[in-house]
Amino acid sequence: MSEACEPRSHLVYGWAWLVACLTFPLIWLGGLVTTHDAGMAVPDWPGTFGYNLFLYPISTWVFGPFDLFVEHGHRLLASLVGLLAIFLCWFAYKYEQRRWARVVCYAFLAAIISQGLLGGARVLLDARTAAMIHGCTGPLVFTLGCFVVMVCSKDWYQSRPVPISKGLRRASVALFLFSMVQLFLGAQLRHSQPTWIPSFFMSIVHTHLTMAMIILGLILWVFTIVRCNPNRQVVELRAPSSMLVAIVIAQVALGFATWVANYATPWMELTPWLARYTVQGKGFWESMIVTGHQATGSLLIVCSLWLTCRISIRGRVVEDKLVERIAIEEGEQIFSATQPSFMVVGENG
Amino acid sequence: MFLLDFRCHSCFSTSIGFGCALVFLSGFLGCSGEKIEYRDNFLHAASVMSDSDEPEIRSMAQQASQAATELLGPIDAPEWPADIESVVDMGKVRRSAGPVGRDQSKVENGLFRKHCVQCHGLSGDGFGPVAALLAPYPRDFRRGSFKFKSTPIGRKPTHADIVKTLENGLPGTAMPAFRTLNESEEFAKDVDALAHYVRFMAIRGELERRVLVALANGDSQQGDRDLLSRVANDWREADTYAIAVPEWKTLSETELQGSIARGKELFQSELTACAKCHGVNADGKGISQDYDDWTKDWTIRAGIDPANKAEWKTMKKYGALKPVLDPARNLHLGVFRGGATRQDIYTRLVVGIEGSPMPAVARKQNENPGLTEENILDLVEYVLSVSSLPVSGPATTGEVKDERSL
Repeated sequence: MSEACEPRSHLVYGWAWLVACLTFPLIWLGGLVTTHDAGMAVPDWPGTFGYNLFLYPISTWVFGPFDLFVEHGHRLLASLVGLLAIFLCWFAYKYEQRRWARVVCYAFLAAIISQGLLGGARVLLDARTAAMIHGCTGPLVFTLGCFVVMVCSKDWYQSRPVPISKGLRRASVALFLFSMVQLFLGAQLRHSQPTWIPSFFMSIVHTHLTMAMIILGLILWVFTIVRCNPNRQVVELRAPSSMLVAIVIAQVALGFATWVANYATPWMELTPWLARYTVQGKGFWESMIVTGHQATGSLLIVCSLWLTCRISIRGRVVEDKLVERIAIEEGEQIFSATQPSFMVVGENG
Repeated sequence: MFLLDFRCHSCFSTSIGFGCALVFLSGFLGCSGEKIEYRDNFLHAASVMSDSDEPEIRSMAQQASQAATELLGPIDAPEWPADIESVVDMGKVRRSAGPVGRDQSKVENGLFRKHCVQCHGLSGDGFGPVAALLAPYPRDFRRGSFKFKSTPIGRKPTHADIVKTLENGLPGTAMPAFRTLNESEEFAKDVDALAHYVRFMAIRGELERRVLVALANGDSQQGDRDLLSRVANDWREADTYAIAVPEWKTLSETELQGSIARGKELFQSELTACAKCHGVNADGKGISQDYDDWTKDWTIRAGIDPANKAEWKTMKKYGALKPVLDPARNLHLGVFRGGATRQDIYTRLVVGIEGSPMPAVARKQNENPGLTEENILDLVEYVLSVSSLPVSGPATTGEVKDERSL
């Protein structure tokens, strides 16, 4: 067992799931706010057009302008997530036995509150820079929420130490960090300042594309080595790696579609259909594609963290000899002539 | 590379620290935006003062911009001089200008920055952040020239022309169709307001250019107000120059085929010279190797060869984008950016496409050779027949509009 503090709290785990699941639509709504440039659709904060946030008339909200609907809805959902996170902290305080896990829950609540304050600053200062930071930190808060789910999961408690190649461990960490860099680059593009010169914007686009290729390559490599010796013994790594492949394929497709939805295809005269395509300004599907690209980026970070966590809780680096001894003890034939010089095994091994 | 173990608190903190560093970095980059104001027309200053050094060029451009701002206000608070009759609705202009957002009365402002600024730039100079990645480049309004309009070359577009481009977009380009805005009551007036602001920016840009030329020529006789009056007058007169499009007769199949055959003959003739650029088969494989007027403005007219990288790169510091050829359209693709109805094609033929190598057809006048009205109608039928648009048989005006609308 990697943790000796059973029993785990099902309440904390379930509640963390609920909060994380509600944070994802919050990311979507935030993305729609950016897509529709609705950040200033409500000019005051924390109130809404002079009303208390929770007392703003529903009919005016639902049947009013779309940007107001999105912005006010974003605030309401954020409030709900914040409220549920307070309960999460309370449950963690009562039932979570690991001190550091409780701290993670408190950090999640602090992150949600900070994110809300940042959103308020964006409105009060009418600052696009604050909007961009808010857009960057949103997916990180979501990731932190998902991390709470991971640390409370059965897998975290019951993971068994197993040999995992060092290359895979490094790749998963690199993937997590690159995904965050990619998020940062994407947020720059989404919140580009009108005063930017074209060459600056172009350089960010090119870096974003290069990073996308690196991430795609890394994920495909991770997917492959997860299914090779000695990692193939660790079946728990297959789900996150498969999920990563599915997400990255969707993300690349959404990325291309986002460009086309915003600026038409770069190869316009390739076919009559492409040549005749007209970009629809603020069209429904166009908005969904662009926002979906951003939201899927958050899922990519979460999934890479999931893989990193599953690898991390199963081992630490030891030298070959120790790995060999463990393997012999466990009666497993996990070595071949092609094995790397370092292996990762469970810390209890 | 450090090894991440989330049970190790220091590693977790490192990871969070990395995320925070990214956020701060993003904040730093976000703050790198300049103050929101009109961008001076350095490029035009450099092209009209090609013998001057950079500080002088920049100083002159600043003076011209300042003169325009004194008359028409700063970027967030546009105004119109009381002693000059306005050609734009300033209420709509003010609504379109400035930062995006709603005021306490729920009126949405900053429409231009919401919908247009990424490509067209704050000053309407076609130098928005995305500009370099687009083909064709976004329009620079400051020349006061617009491609798709119902008035002859050299005349300003009508308000309806700008509204039409905004509503329908330009297929095959990054210019979106904003007709969806008209579908909801709350945004229905946005396109009209934006069209007014586009006119305003074009007027301001043209005033700035004229002031620049006057400054460069040392011509102090013409006051800035006179220049503005002249520019405004050109826009005021636009409606009077709009051409009349004839009613389309319903043709039988035999008549249509005859019309197409005559149109093809005209297309390939020396009289129209269409085939020179568009190719004998209208597939765009002609000999045209020309640039648009926005490019020629700062290259050929300033003594710079746009095909010579070393030469045009000297203008990059003033805001020049890489010169790109303006090729003749492959008509088989069925891409008609100014509209794909018979009336649209007729208008393109009669008035040409301003700023592009596409001229207006020569009209027959007295003894001068040229095309008659019937010739032009035949040419329209031929152009539409070679396109891959799904059209079956003869159609009336109304039917064609429905089928061919892009």
